[in-house]
Amino acid sequence: MNDSRSIRLHYLFRAAVLAAFALYILHLMQQDALHYYVAPALARWIRLCPVPLGLMALSLVIQALLGRSQVLCNCDHRLPAGFLKSTGLYGLFMLPLLLGFLLPDKALGSIAAAKKGISLSYSAMEPEKAVPSASTVPQKSITGTATEPKKAVTFETSDPYAKEFAELAKLLYAQPVIPVYPAIYSETFGAIEMFKEQFAGKEIAVSGFVYRDQTGGTSGPFAVSRFLVQCCTADATPFGIMVDPQHKLTLPADSWVKVQGKLKIVPQGGKDLIEIEASQITPIAQPQTPYIYTSADSVAAWKELQKDASKAK
Amino acid sequence: MTTLSPFKIVPLLLPAAFLIILLVLWLPERIELLDNVYMDTFKTSFVGILLEALPFVLAGALLSSLLQVFVPDEVLSRWIPKKPVPAILFACLLGVIFPVCECGMIPLVRRLIHKGMPVYVAIVFILSGPIINPVVYGATFMAFRSHPDLAYARMGLAFAVAFLIGLIVYVTVKKSPVRWSMERETGGNAHLHAARGGRLASVFVHTSDEFFDMGKYLIIGCLLTSAIQTFMVRESLSAIGGHPLGSYLFMMGLAFALSLCSTSDAFVASTFLHTFPAGSLIAFMVLGPMLDFKNAMMLMALFKTKFALYLFFLIAACVFVGSVLISAWL
Repeated sequence: MNDSRSIRLHYLFRAAVLAAFALYILHLMQQDALHYYVAPALARWIRLCPVPLGLMALSLVIQALLGRSQVLCNCDHRLPAGFLKSTGLYGLFMLPLLLGFLLPDKALGSIAAAKKGISLSYSAMEPEKAVPSASTVPQKSITGTATEPKKAVTFETSDPYAKEFAELAKLLYAQPVIPVYPAIYSETFGAIEMFKEQFAGKEIAVSGFVYRDQTGGTSGPFAVSRFLVQCCTADATPFGIMVDPQHKLTLPADSWVKVQGKLKIVPQGGKDLIEIEASQITPIAQPQTPYIYTSADSVAAWKELQKDASKAK
Repeated sequence: MTTLSPFKIVPLLLPAAFLIILLVLWLPERIELLDNVYMDTFKTSFVGILLEALPFVLAGALLSSLLQVFVPDEVLSRWIPKKPVPAILFACLLGVIFPVCECGMIPLVRRLIHKGMPVYVAIVFILSGPIINPVVYGATFMAFRSHPDLAYARMGLAFAVAFLIGLIVYVTVKKSPVRWSMERETGGNAHLHAARGGRLASVFVHTSDEFFDMGKYLIIGCLLTSAIQTFMVRESLSAIGGHPLGSYLFMMGLAFALSLCSTSDAFVASTFLHTFPAGSLIAFMVLGPMLDFKNAMMLMALFKTKFALYLFFLIAACVFVGSVLISAWL
């Protein structure tokens, strides 16, 4: 059985590790770097973690410094016996902290996208919203028209779950240049893909990182890509839109660009993919939040974003 | 038995101190050795998974400590039905009340076993809790919006598998399969009540014990998972999806290796909808929360190795057979 002195020592070690975890989370919060690792919904809970961690560390320190010896008994046989075991245990807990503090916080990039397999169409990524619409799109509709000067384009679907996309598509179509907001990135492309015939030829502006498959060099076609994160980086799904740069352009993988151009439909492997025929490609700095997340109500989010955008003007 | 007495470790502290100085001086100059794209990807997924699990592990540890300190043993055993079938049904529905994700599950269940919950009931709770709860149902429903039958099938199969395994364990396992070191704990109560700072402090001391106990398995699991995430090419494996039964085994293997949280795995599963049969997606979503790298490590810590392996086999076999059967209705 460990004597009370070594228990005190263990408690102090543990308190230090717990405090270091709390500090690491505070450090991430202060650097605003939590979003590199987890989705905002989860980050809320992680922000709370330093409180119990701190309290745990504090109670351990109190026990170690003030606890009566007879109370400090390792009856549970929970503390590791022996130097090697202890070093192993605390070393294991130091590992994430060392990695966390030593290496810079970086967003996932092309390497991860290649391993996970990039989706070049919305239906491959989240099929549930887009699948039923494939059959319903061509139907002629009576309501839900977004009138353009030249022709009437309709966005109608019989699928209740696709209603949101049809609604969003109407709003998007009314724009001279369709902006792709990160907050509703996947929904925007979902809506465009669902009504790709109508959207062909429309002007769009989108930002993302440059992804090329392993064979490609540093010039030629690429996908402007983002990672869709549901919960944490483990479930991050890479999602990209092919870009035809028109002329040779050297862009290293993982560099961030803003692409503006016309949407067109390209048949590829028996499927119709949407592609951007770029008229303008500008390198940009990596945005504050590199990942994209899903939005519960993309139409409401769009209206909110539009309001903010017009206010900014 | 060796102890960690401060005097004994002095000779070892010297080389350790030397190593630390070396690391501190050498590492900043050689940091670019570590700083490559693979290391970045590894770090991002490792820290991501760990941070994701952290609130749940802490919540599980805190809940179990509160149970330990404030709830007398008799209360719980009075609640649990005595007959096996009602007890198993009770455990299946416990997840609705305690929506704990699988990372927080094991510390909580360990405490419940000490409080007198029979092992077969505890196992049913471990298996069904992370799936049969409102949060996971909502997430699955969202991910498969136009195929709600997949969400029902997931809940149904999880219930069936947990129920069946509960019965099998009730019938076949007579000796307590809980590790001896984890069983001897009853003496702790009286001592900890006398801890400085009263009951509240003893709750936190206990929580940290739980945290360090489970944390080591969690970290090893996260390390393995993120290594797989970083180096495994998904597409190279998905060729197996063409074989009718191979796809089930593949999706189950994937669920084990990826160790996703049960609230988010449905979204990952939905990306496979066009390439894999629906039954194999059910296998993915039922096996993952019951058995993956992360919680296999924690289960091995809770149960004796032989029983843990028996349990892994039961889970894999039941999920495989169940998902193949259920695919007849999908």
